[in-house]
Amino acid sequence: MSRLPPSSTERIDRSRPLGFRWCGRALEGFEGDTVASALWGAGVRTLGRSFEYHRPRGLYDLEGEGSSQLVSIDGVPNQSAGTTPLREGMAVGAQNVRGDPRFDALGFLDRLDRFMPAGFYYRLLHRPAWAARFFQERMRGLAGLGVLRPDAADRPGAVESAEPDRAGAVEAAERYLHADVAVVGGGPAGMSAALEAGRLGLRVCLFERRPWLGGHLDWRVRDGRPLAGEVSALADRLGRMESVRVFRHAPATGIWGENLLTGFQLAGPGAPLDGERREWHWECRARAIVAATGSIERPLVFEHNDRPGVMQADTAIRLARTYGVRPGAAAAFSVADDLGIEAAVDLAALGVEVRVVADARREGHDPELVDALSAAGIDFRPGWAATRVRGRGRVRGVELAVRAGSGAAGDPLRVAGDLLVASAGRQPDIGVLSCAGARFRHGERTRTFELERLPPDVFAAGGVLRLTDLEALTCSGRIAGLQAAAACGASVGSPLTRERARLTDLPGPARGSSIVRGPAAGRRLAPGRKAFLDFDEDGTWKNAAQSAAYGFDVPELAKRFGNFGLGPGQYRVPGQNLAMAMAEIAGRPAGSFPATTVRPPVIPPSLATLAGPNHDIHKRTPLHEDQASRGAVFRRAGPWLRARYFSADRQCLEEIRNVRRNVGLLDSSPLGKFRIWGPDALRALQRVYISDMTRTRSGHCTYSAMCNDTGNIIDDGIVVRTGKDEFYFTTSSNRAGVTVEWLRFHTRYDGWDYNLVNLTDALASINVAGPNARRVLGKITGADLSDEAFPYLGCREIEVGSGVAARCLRLGFVGELSYELHVRASYARYVWHLLWEAGSEYGIRPFGLEAQNCLRAEKGHVIIGTESEQRVTLIDIGMGWLWDREDTASGKVGAAALRHCEGQSGRLKLVGLRVDDPAGDGGTGTARGVAHRPTARDVAHRPGDGALVVDGDRIAGFVCTTRHSESLGWQYGLALVEDRLAERGRSLDLYESLGRRTARSTATVVPPHFYDPRGQRLRTAPEGRPRRSGEPPSQAAPAAHRRSPVRFDAVPSRTRHRAGWKVVLDYESDRAPADALRRARLVDLSHRARWDVQHRDIRTLRPFGLDVPGRPGEVAVRDGLMINRMNGTQTSVWHVGSGAAPTMPDGPHYTDTTDSQAWLALLGDSVPEVLERVTDLDLFEPGRARPFLIQGPILRVPCQVVTWRRDAVLLAFSRGYAPTFVEALLEAGRPAGLRAAGERIFADSVEALDTGAGLGSIADAT
Amino acid sequence: MTFRLTCPVCGKRDVYEFTYGGPERGPRPAEGDAAERADPGAAAEAHFRWAQFRMNRPDPREEWWYHGAGCGVWFSTWRDPATNREARPGGAETSGNEASGGDSS
Repeated sequence: MSRLPPSSTERIDRSRPLGFRWCGRALEGFEGDTVASALWGAGVRTLGRSFEYHRPRGLYDLEGEGSSQLVSIDGVPNQSAGTTPLREGMAVGAQNVRGDPRFDALGFLDRLDRFMPAGFYYRLLHRPAWAARFFQERMRGLAGLGVLRPDAADRPGAVESAEPDRAGAVEAAERYLHADVAVVGGGPAGMSAALEAGRLGLRVCLFERRPWLGGHLDWRVRDGRPLAGEVSALADRLGRMESVRVFRHAPATGIWGENLLTGFQLAGPGAPLDGERREWHWECRARAIVAATGSIERPLVFEHNDRPGVMQADTAIRLARTYGVRPGAAAAFSVADDLGIEAAVDLAALGVEVRVVADARREGHDPELVDALSAAGIDFRPGWAATRVRGRGRVRGVELAVRAGSGAAGDPLRVAGDLLVASAGRQPDIGVLSCAGARFRHGERTRTFELERLPPDVFAAGGVLRLTDLEALTCSGRIAGLQAAAACGASVGSPLTRERARLTDLPGPARGSSIVRGPAAGRRLAPGRKAFLDFDEDGTWKNAAQSAAYGFDVPELAKRFGNFGLGPGQYRVPGQNLAMAMAEIAGRPAGSFPATTVRPPVIPPSLATLAGPNHDIHKRTPLHEDQASRGAVFRRAGPWLRARYFSADRQCLEEIRNVRRNVGLLDSSPLGKFRIWGPDALRALQRVYISDMTRTRSGHCTYSAMCNDTGNIIDDGIVVRTGKDEFYFTTSSNRAGVTVEWLRFHTRYDGWDYNLVNLTDALASINVAGPNARRVLGKITGADLSDEAFPYLGCREIEVGSGVAARCLRLGFVGELSYELHVRASYARYVWHLLWEAGSEYGIRPFGLEAQNCLRAEKGHVIIGTESEQRVTLIDIGMGWLWDREDTASGKVGAAALRHCEGQSGRLKLVGLRVDDPAGDGGTGTARGVAHRPTARDVAHRPGDGALVVDGDRIAGFVCTTRHSESLGWQYGLALVEDRLAERGRSLDLYESLGRRTARSTATVVPPHFYDPRGQRLRTAPEGRPRRSGEPPSQAAPAAHRRSPVRFDAVPSRTRHRAGWKVVLDYESDRAPADALRRARLVDLSHRARWDVQHRDIRTLRPFGLDVPGRPGEVAVRDGLMINRMNGTQTSVWHVGSGAAPTMPDGPHYTDTTDSQAWLALLGDSVPEVLERVTDLDLFEPGRARPFLIQGPILRVPCQVVTWRRDAVLLAFSRGYAPTFVEALLEAGRPAGLRAAGERIFADSVEALDTGAGLGSIADAT
Repeated sequence: MTFRLTCPVCGKRDVYEFTYGGPERGPRPAEGDAAERADPGAAAEAHFRWAQFRMNRPDPREEWWYHGAGCGVWFSTWRDPATNREARPGGAETSGNEASGGDSS
């Protein structure tokens, strides 16, 4: 063991050893170790092999700055050994190694460097042409670090692991934070800034990349006295401040537009494990940012500066002081600043033999430190620097020489030893500042790129300004904190002036050295051949010179040509050195070129963290489970999951047959459904619909279409007049989400008075289709379904079962007698089961999207987006008859374009196809659609969707949909073809590319109505006596029940029936409620009544006799109702009280939205903690009068959120999202203690909430 | 890329909550019979310019945005597409800031 005796600065717990494995070997470290310190402490010197030359690499830095220290941990590649805390049982492996890292089979590549000059891959390996592919394959085999096994598990970030229970350890989550002032860096300057801003009552978030606060003072020891004591008081005061949140082990990755600070946090000593999560993403929207990122070391470049055993001064001293690890037995130092000398003095005091300390500076050393060196008997050589390292696999000795111009060039000094501490001094850590858009300029005094100009509302303090004096660090921190507070509107005048005056009396920025490369080495090596500027991609000084010689002579060009700074080291290892090296190569002063641009992430998080939890949030219809139980295979259609097939037969023959001959059930709930009313509602419809909407009438479905401004058809549906100024209309499922937006956009200049409610989620839609549809429906309703009373295209308000209201539309998209029932979503399952039972005697069965697609195409009905595209207009697809061409006054969207292009020639037209049957088998062979995998036999003959129509060697159109039809006995198709080919009877050549083969076939143009072209099946019921009015339903109906879209995975212990709903009052898990509200509980309130109220002058309406709050976002609670002002014309009213809900007042302004939305309550002390994991909305803004309403996304789902109090939040959102939303919310909130609970806890809370008493009192009472 | 817009109802929000409605270009030109009869080509041209033609200058301009994830209101606002910052009506930026985000190489 190479551990030092215990010291007061160390962060390891020697009483708790941890076993782990390194490349299969069992090793031991301590609690508090990082993987890197444990490895070095266990005597491991080679951590991996370099990217290009497979050179052995050791521990150069401890901050995760470069790829050299990347290892695989438990099968997850590219983990930073320097920052990952050691855990018991970890399996750690070396990367980019064939065999043992000490004897890598590809190590010979190091000797081939002369064949791999800068840019060799792109310049050389592409000739002759065949070689490019050969080399590409070889290079891909060699390139890259680490191996990811994506097939190992399906969880994000999960990979195969030696220990199965550790697979998927990288579970990622996210947190969205809000701050007035965000501080990056928890050193003395950052802590001082946070304290100043916090004292003024501002919300402050401080992010420290290490697991503890204090910056470099944490490990530094001066004159035997640890400096940590100097700042521990600051840390204590921060910890006590309520408005300050401190995130440790939380590196920042970048600053984005308008002060969005991003980063991630690692579980470990600095942060408790968040559930099972090891790493999580955070982002913080701040009004002002203080960057106190400190300084980092600038690497010294010399021959073999990457040998294991060469390390930065910080690395050496931190190994010793933080982890109690002996960095080496005998050391040489080649440094360029006082911190380097201090490290040498301290290491010597700890018992490391320091043989020589070379300092690139000839003068300006801290005399105290020089005295300490001589007192310790250490050879001190000002003006000297390392030239090269001796030793192959590791450092065995060092050659030092006098720098040019530093006096007489004597013989180089050779020192034996296993440790070389090398540093060219310090540079500001400009990472996040650079991302924010700060500008830098090379400074003569500091010899680094120092801050020149800051972006607005971003401030800098401390080491990043190259300050080193402790007083100056804290003083500059206080100044930045006050400046940031001022940017947030705080009054800071006199303290700021005072601190500024104080800073002028304190020591300014430290003097630095201009050294980049050690003095010239012996003659045996080409200059800079093994002197690395960039460790990540093995970029040498020689490569930089080659880049310059090729003309890529400025840093930004050399960076790309020679691959400098493209790895994880980015701006740290190569960054400022590259700019200075390019200047030196060009023979120009050091500051001639700017440093290369820094890009986020400045510190790389794992990809799984960036990807986030990736909840699959989608909508499910109320009939999802019923269909799943019938064997439905679902597919995504827009935001919805819809049933595609109900059997393994991808041609759905049985489903199709049953609709054509009998009766089928289709869940078409995603269909867009809207209610529009108001004096100008008709004008709005006239604007967006292409037909004459004045002809819509009640009880009748008017079919029409919407176009865009270029005349493309974008939507179709039916419109029914439901009142004087009131209409009901449907849209295609894809357009449901944008219809309100579309109508409002195209009337935005008109100031019209109309109101619009989206009922898509509120109403389920069930299609009963087939010759027996009327018989089935007749069994569950008493309504008159005869052709006279309810003809084709009729629309009737009927009752089904035990009095459930349904809007019934007699339509025929699939070409058969069919009824579409629009019922409240909560009743959908009830109605579905009624129909199922009623239809059982006929063999009713469900059908899915694919069957519907075949049925409607057979009928010649188009689907927009399938039979239309950007090039075709309404007229082109044969629906020009819809256009009211006389109307030029309404300003119909698309009319001008239709008028302009209706006479144009050369346009695509929609035609029907009859595919010629070369096999002559009368179509008994297998037909092929999108869903059908071609077999060898039918590929040659039968075209599929997307087949091209060719005219000679030109493409003249394409087949939109084609299927073999059992009803017709032949294969039909719908195709868009150039108009000159569109005449009836014309033969078309079809062409398809199927992988490596091509297939040709022919088809004949026919009218695009194949099945029942005269529509008789739609208009008259085929057989049987329809029941007459007044006859009761023949099937006895069970009592109607309603279903909430929310289903918790918990066992109810107490339930109550309330107006058709089964309400869960308590779950089994609620039996110990005493601490329930100390954590967080999720309550489903979807069964409680809600209404949407819209009125141009909403305050005069006084819905439910209540005053509407004056401004959007304001909320009032009165008489058990919560009234939320949403915008200028709209409020929602929620029933929160314990009594019965009031009845909805009469009048068009009210819509019952109980079925539109799911409604949830989040209760308990950790509610803010739950919500910051799922939304970036600022729901707890201090100083805002509660309750208030925020409308915005949670888990990317648009929500209405009412912050009643800090521990009580209500949220409502589209009903369809409920199942996946609730699942994701419970998962995200689990680490914060979120669990499902029954309604009782909400009912108990309301009074306390209303009166302003604490929820805690309820928790105490129960 | 991220920037924020000020919704007149909800205040400052992230741009991903909004849908873009294009630059302000005035109401749709009237499709009057008179214009059609006088010169159908000119009417089509006027419609084309209104519907399709955009200057795309990197200058502050008035734009339409829809707060779809929030209050559901269309509004117009001034923005400088070169910096993604909101601008004063007429063009001057609300703050004399330069682009942030570090996307210049």
